[in-house]
Amino acid sequence: MIPQEYFLVLSGILFAIGAFGVLTRKNAIVVLMCVEIMLNAANINFVTFSVFSGGAAGQVFALFSIAIAAAEVAVGLAILLNLQKLQDTIELQDLNLLRW
Amino acid sequence: MADYTAILPLIVLAAFGLLAPAVRILGKSDKATAIWALAGVLISGFFVADFFLSYPPGSSVGFEGVVELNYFSALFMLLFLSVAAYVIIASLRYVDKERHTGEYYALILLATTGMMIVASALDLITLFVGIELTSLSSYALVAFRKTSKRGSEAATKYFIIGALSSAIALFGISLLYGVTVQFPEVLVGSNPLTFENIGAAVSAAMGTPAEPIVFLAAVMLIAGFGFKIALVPFHMWAPDVYEGAPTTITAMLAAGSKKMGIIALFKVFLIGLIALKTDWELLIAVLAILTMTVGNIIAVSQTSLKRMLAYSSIAQAGYILIALPIAAVSDPAVAAYGLAGGFFHMITHAFMKGGAFLIVAGLSKVAVGENVADYKGLARRAPWIAFAMLIMLFSLAGIPPLAGFWSKYVLFSGAIDAWQLNDQNNWMFWLAIAGILNSALSLYYYARVVKNMYVEKGPQDRVRVPTAMAVAIGICFVAVIGIGLYPQPFIQACIDAAHAFLGI
Repeated sequence: MIPQEYFLVLSGILFAIGAFGVLTRKNAIVVLMCVEIMLNAANINFVTFSVFSGGAAGQVFALFSIAIAAAEVAVGLAILLNLQKLQDTIELQDLNLLRW
Repeated sequence: MADYTAILPLIVLAAFGLLAPAVRILGKSDKATAIWALAGVLISGFFVADFFLSYPPGSSVGFEGVVELNYFSALFMLLFLSVAAYVIIASLRYVDKERHTGEYYALILLATTGMMIVASALDLITLFVGIELTSLSSYALVAFRKTSKRGSEAATKYFIIGALSSAIALFGISLLYGVTVQFPEVLVGSNPLTFENIGAAVSAAMGTPAEPIVFLAAVMLIAGFGFKIALVPFHMWAPDVYEGAPTTITAMLAAGSKKMGIIALFKVFLIGLIALKTDWELLIAVLAILTMTVGNIIAVSQTSLKRMLAYSSIAQAGYILIALPIAAVSDPAVAAYGLAGGFFHMITHAFMKGGAFLIVAGLSKVAVGENVADYKGLARRAPWIAFAMLIMLFSLAGIPPLAGFWSKYVLFSGAIDAWQLNDQNNWMFWLAIAGILNSALSLYYYARVVKNMYVEKGPQDRVRVPTAMAVAIGICFVAVIGIGLYPQPFIQACIDAAHAFLGI
């Protein structure tokens, strides 16, 4: 059996990749994809801890978070589509109507 | 047969919310939809009020170990429902020329349901689902004006930041789950993520190799929830979103969603991570002082009233947050009093800041601009609205005998009480000092608006705010004056709520 650490290292790497992408990328869709990677890193954690501890709760939580992530993407893509229609861009650095 | 008392208000509100678009289509009337939504809020509020009347303080009703109705959650359910009620009444006129009003009211009700779930949640996953329900609904509400460039930009910023903060918080939750399952001997029941189980597992984890993981999870939860409540340094999105959103929705974000985030933070840190308190209390105190100072200082230089109120909202979250370290002190009476101060300030802030935003919304409907300079001579153009604005702003600054004075009084005297306990809490004195100095600073920019309204000369024509919006403003006005004149029952209710929250 593959030891637990391997899964946790995988999820840590995925979380770091996602966070790095959110901080460096300018395209809103790519940022959204990076956020999804971060959410899935958490799901891997839930499932790993659940399998290695013998309780089912973590897998239930992972299902919850998958459903929430799906809803989040639906709302987010709708918002980005509307942005594209109005401002003809989804580059985040072009959003400068509102600033202090 | 399970006891549905605890979950009935949530079911009613969600059902009314889901049916609102159908009511809009079948009834073909915006007014009917708004009344339908208001009816949902009132019926749900009736079930919550029924709990207050039929159960003594200290009692609680749970539902399947997922949510619990007690004096704390019921109090905040009533607060969220009143916010929803005045937002719906104001929206009756504010969005009357828009399309998709059915979805608008549906999303308001679902967002309120999410806040109520957070108030009553017993475990971290339920809490997270509630936060997400509110967040997803509010992203869509901020983007409600589909032809508004500023609205869509605000919604994009809100969505990106919100999704990022949810991901960070969820990763923190998954780490906490990993810690709890390492200590099966202290867990009760089948759900390892209830706040009690987290508390037990975290105190068992102290001094074991799992301890650093708990720290990492705590930092991630502060960052994740800190984004939601616009804690400095995670606050950059808030003024943009508050400015770009429809103003009634801004009122709901400031009065409702922000309180929800603070409750989530209170629940996680005061029940789940209380064993770590020596590590987080100073960090939270520094963040609280930083939040109120930065919010107030930037608010001084704002020309847009909406942005100024947004920064003042950030500062108010800083005041509320000082209740968190106070509530962690060892003496239960002092802890409950400090926590009650935080609760009380959340309640008064919901009415005074919500009222101020509604006044901005109502005046923008009759062609008064949203800049501080546009309010010149308002006292002659709309005397009552100007007076209501004066009351809201003075209450936010904490001038007696208004509501904001009493809540700040309880909050800061709670800090002084904790300081006098003298068990290594010497620094808590500075929480009160920072709060008082910041209140003095905030008076400067509130007074500038009041001076514009009452002293400066402006246009002479009278303006009349639509009746429905005037009613909503009136609700906030009466609440601010009423709590100011009779604070005692509200303070007592907050202390009862704090006892229920801390389980003492």
